[in-house]
Amino acid sequence: MEKPTTIVVVGGGTGGTLAANLLAKNLRDEIHSERVKVHLISGSRTHVFQPGYLNVAFRNQDPKEMTRDENILLRREVQRIEEDADRIDLTAQTVILESGDKLDYDYLIIATGSVPNPDAIPGLKDASLNFHTSSEESRKIWKTIQHFDAGHVIVGIAGVPHKCPPSPNEAAFLLDDHFRERGIREKVKITFLTPYPRPYPAEPMSKVVEPLFQKRGIEVVTFFNVGSVDPLKREIYSLEGESLSYDLLIMVPPHRGADVIIKSGIGDADGWIPTDKNSMRIQGYENAYAIGDATNIPVSKTGVTAHLEAIVATNNVVSWIRGKKELYKYNGRINCPFEMGSGKASFVVGSYDTPVKEIQPSRIRYAMKKAFARFYWRTLSGNWDWLLNTYFGKTHEVEPSNGSMVK
Amino acid sequence: MDSRGTMCPGPITDLFRAYRNANIGDIIELLATDPAARSDTQAWAKRSGNQIQAIIDEKDHVRILIRVVKKGR
Repeated sequence: MEKPTTIVVVGGGTGGTLAANLLAKNLRDEIHSERVKVHLISGSRTHVFQPGYLNVAFRNQDPKEMTRDENILLRREVQRIEEDADRIDLTAQTVILESGDKLDYDYLIIATGSVPNPDAIPGLKDASLNFHTSSEESRKIWKTIQHFDAGHVIVGIAGVPHKCPPSPNEAAFLLDDHFRERGIREKVKITFLTPYPRPYPAEPMSKVVEPLFQKRGIEVVTFFNVGSVDPLKREIYSLEGESLSYDLLIMVPPHRGADVIIKSGIGDADGWIPTDKNSMRIQGYENAYAIGDATNIPVSKTGVTAHLEAIVATNNVVSWIRGKKELYKYNGRINCPFEMGSGKASFVVGSYDTPVKEIQPSRIRYAMKKAFARFYWRTLSGNWDWLLNTYFGKTHEVEPSNGSMVK
Repeated sequence: MDSRGTMCPGPITDLFRAYRNANIGDIIELLATDPAARSDTQAWAKRSGNQIQAIIDEKDHVRILIRVVKKGR
């Protein structure tokens, strides 16, 4: 019997879990007849809905509500390897596990995500709370703001890029809501700190955010690239030479690529994998793909983009295995939910060819954001893309490929 | 930094990544197709005290040269 084609997915977050399930679904016959194997490498048994950290930090949501057992989320055709990858050799087509075991592949999908890295900025880890590294750290914010009665809160972006671009602005809006609900808003000064020229990096959405910040008394300091923080003096310094004093600091840390990518030498200086922004292939490799936060492509690092990229990468793998030679090409569609306080939300919508639109917040969009969060677990099965496609519209193109077959 | 093909905030994000790793006297070369790259970079340089050495319109992109003359801690 011929050796089965082996597909390895590295990483069990949004992109990796969906990619493994889509492969299992679309190659079901091949897997059952032992012509194809799908492995998912992920050391963590707990799958976290990371956008939920915002609600843990500012709404006291129980972190348990935003986690599921990874094994329950995976189709039974997926063989999960419960340890992390230590190194990836794209030339030898091998993944080396932490145990030292090796797993050869015919096709690879890397979905190793991004790592919030407070250590990258001197003083930041000790000085700042955050809602990006873990639910425990997010919980600290809720506990702290309960007892914060007066003073200066600085909230914002400590370094770029970072996952979930609207999340720093969302934090500012929810802090404003929190202190208003407690009736102490006039005693708390809120400053939003950003390296960008405007409150939100994409100008059309900044036109939505700026008047709302003004109305709510949230001050904005732009072009502030955080250089260091002095936790004892409670001062934050910019590379541009400015400084600000604070009583409470909540900054989104800069992010980097995963350890396995840096260790394997397959990322850029910050560990982002050079990836074709359409096919999702790792540059220079026909049978290796990268999706989600792990890539260097110029779109938001969010769950929605990881989802849409997983569809493209898995379709390309399936097409190649079946010899169809069709190339699926992601069009850069983004759709980031953006909470703006007072029970209203907007969405950041755009693509490679369509600039971000100006979308005003509404209660309906807030309800949609909440519905998406509840629907998240079901979307990982790969069974609901027909419904998502109705909402997202066109997310990729399909065209004939002249590329050679890998196998 | 080659930011061609990226929309805002791609070019300015790349500029800030380069600035973080730069030393005084370094020149950052930014290539961009996003029209906002020119005005955003000029506004940042004016605010931060760094110098735009040249803005060159190439055939299908703009090339911006920034000399780092100011960088705090």
